[in-house]
Amino acid sequence: MEQYCLTMRGISKSYSGVAAVQGVDFSVRPGEVHALIGENGAGKSTLLNILSGVRAADSGEILVEGQVIQMKNPLSARHAGIAMIHQELQHVPELSVAQNMFLGRPLTKMKGLFVDRKAQYKRAVAILRRLDPSINPDEPIKNLKVSQQQIVEIARALLDEAKIIAMDEPTSSLTPTEFERLAELISDLKSMNVSLIYVSHKMNEIFKVCDRATILRDGKQVGVVNICDETEETIVTKMVGRKIEKVQHHSYATERIVLSVEDLSRDKAVRNATFSVKAGEVLGIAGLVGSGRTELLKLIAGIDAKTGGNIEVEGVAVKKHNVSSAIRAGIGLVPEDRKKEGIIKERAVKMNMALPSMARFTRFGLLKKSQLNQTALDVMTDLRLRPLNIEKTIGTLSGGNQQKVIIGRWVAADNKVFLFDEPTRGIDIGAKSEIYNLIEKLAQQGKAIVVVSSEMPEIIRISDRVLVMREGQITKELNGDDITEENIARYAINDVKKAV
Amino acid sequence: MTTQGNVQPKAFPLALFKFNVRDAGTLIGLLIIVITFSFLSPVFFTLPNLLNILQQSSINGIIALGMTLVIISGGIDLSVGPTAALSAVLGATLMVAGVPVPLAIMATLGVGALCGVFSGMLVAYAGLQPFIVTLGGLSLFRALALIFTNGNPIFGIPMEFRTVINSTVFGVPAPIVIVIAIAAILWVVMNKTPLGEYILAVGGNEEAARVAGVPVKRTKVTVFVISGVLASLASLILIGRLGAAEPTMGNLWELDAIAAAAIGGASLMGGKGSVIGTLIGAVILGSLRNGLTLLNIQAFYQLLATGLIIIIAMLIDRATRGK
Repeated sequence: MEQYCLTMRGISKSYSGVAAVQGVDFSVRPGEVHALIGENGAGKSTLLNILSGVRAADSGEILVEGQVIQMKNPLSARHAGIAMIHQELQHVPELSVAQNMFLGRPLTKMKGLFVDRKAQYKRAVAILRRLDPSINPDEPIKNLKVSQQQIVEIARALLDEAKIIAMDEPTSSLTPTEFERLAELISDLKSMNVSLIYVSHKMNEIFKVCDRATILRDGKQVGVVNICDETEETIVTKMVGRKIEKVQHHSYATERIVLSVEDLSRDKAVRNATFSVKAGEVLGIAGLVGSGRTELLKLIAGIDAKTGGNIEVEGVAVKKHNVSSAIRAGIGLVPEDRKKEGIIKERAVKMNMALPSMARFTRFGLLKKSQLNQTALDVMTDLRLRPLNIEKTIGTLSGGNQQKVIIGRWVAADNKVFLFDEPTRGIDIGAKSEIYNLIEKLAQQGKAIVVVSSEMPEIIRISDRVLVMREGQITKELNGDDITEENIARYAINDVKKAV
Repeated sequence: MTTQGNVQPKAFPLALFKFNVRDAGTLIGLLIIVITFSFLSPVFFTLPNLLNILQQSSINGIIALGMTLVIISGGIDLSVGPTAALSAVLGATLMVAGVPVPLAIMATLGVGALCGVFSGMLVAYAGLQPFIVTLGGLSLFRALALIFTNGNPIFGIPMEFRTVINSTVFGVPAPIVIVIAIAAILWVVMNKTPLGEYILAVGGNEEAARVAGVPVKRTKVTVFVISGVLASLASLILIGRLGAAEPTMGNLWELDAIAAAAIGGASLMGGKGSVIGTLIGAVILGSLRNGLTLLNIQAFYQLLATGLIIIIAMLIDRATRGK
């Protein structure tokens, strides 16, 4: 039946006896934007991997335009007109845009002997013209902004004449403006009769661009809905299987200043940042991607070198500018990219947690394993690590649990200042609220907390005060009722035309 | 409050040592080789020959142990051979000049340490690639050794020193005792000290280690110093046995060391490796050479066998790890 351009029927796959997806049906209509929703672990990635030919399903079938497809490898998917754009963009940074577009199947001349760069350039220009004419096909792709790199991937898919494009968390590295651009692009693709599978956690985006949604939970399909018939709550309830209550913000801020930053600078990335954080206070830092928020945190944590300014913790200046000094002063960072800068994936939970505190667990040069184990157990119980296994290799844990271990690292080190960079990135809704509770608990214990986040609801929910950054500078401080999406956007974006 | 279920996956406590599955596998590989040669040659499985194997493997063993730590930290040390040569010729010169042997030994180890500091600082502080730095060190140290000795060997290593190296402890030759002692020390370092955790962290994910407060630079310099010192220690054993120090000694030593470490489970990507595994790996290489020699097989084929063993070990590794 050609009502659907793609039908996945009864797809099941298990990994080592654990079912990742069970009997999932998933169908997409031509020219529609179909959201694939589910918590981490619900089976979205597995389903996409099967669709794009990366993994073979144990059972079930895939039909494109009514024909059964033998999905043997990614090439089969490509031939069937299915393209996949991953969250972590898959390109070769040193090669040009055109080279990346033709990666794996270059246009050739002289019967395949030489690469036909001219032809590649021409075709690239033709396709990019529809998407973003400002991209130069000869530019090394690493010089492009992430949003443009993403457009190149879409271009690559169109080159293959893909009729079904799956996008996995497409906006994790985009600004709100760039998302608007992407939304327009998606409209254009729809009018070309291309179907899109949109995988995202961001409800506001899904409600903006998607027509229908399929919801997965624990490997099973629990609903196929029309977006216009649903609200955020109804979808989240289906995703999680239970109601998530909205919590009110409670401030634990005291009057005692713990962290004091003065004129902190790093070339153009961070310029003259001056602010203070009190014990029990949660200071949110908002701003667009590239406004210097992450850089600011890394400066405070001693990871990057400053070019000017001072940092004081409880009145004592942090003299030497490196990670050890910062940690000794009681400052620790929970980084944005857990995989790259957070966890040491082959090591156990307890070791990842104990790293900054090694000196504490050492006597006569040797590690006191019993003390280390006990501390790890105590801290991770407190942070509700479930299942509570401190010997487990951290790489096997879910994103939310990994985040708890990294937070636990600084709890065990008795930190006074906790810096969070996108604390719930890549963490599903169920675990998100646990992280918020943790942050609130730390505030209750009198810690000074700084949170950088690109998710407006998140910043608004947990912050006592919000600083807005723009192009490396702090442009505004918002308090209490002034903390709204409009105000944050106002001071974060360059050209502001809206009135208060 | 008790810890749940499984202790570090794939481990079963065994008295003092924690054997993991990978080490057990390497051991099985060794047993297969030993059993095979025992059948093929009547001389193989005799006490003198077995001690011979261990003794022949001891020099590579010591260097491989240092190399293992460097590899686990995510680096590599290609300069171990020339480090040994440079240390040896300087130490021998001192001994021959009448400097008390203990002092000369300290000086020799000191040279090894300095070579390690050199490589380590360039890697840690200048941010250069270990492969390139130690490749440069390889030529540099070799040149220094040759220049210092004018290309000539140094004869006349004092008898007192030689006797110690050639002595036995309860019938076990000194070099073997030394290797085992070093292995024990390094095992403790890797498993029971913060430095061991730091080495694993830096090799596993350097950026994450940095953010977590691991003294990355200090750790990197330390492993290179350890490698340098162990290289010079190995050189002492060799000159003790030969009675002379040649500036050309240590040629290709790095390859055997890396082979032993790799067979023993060290991953050249960093973050993984085993002290015990490296020891077994060194003995595997030694047994192979010994066995083939007993069977009168030409040296060229021994080289072939060594190469094959390394590749087979890696294939088995890949098949069993299932990554």
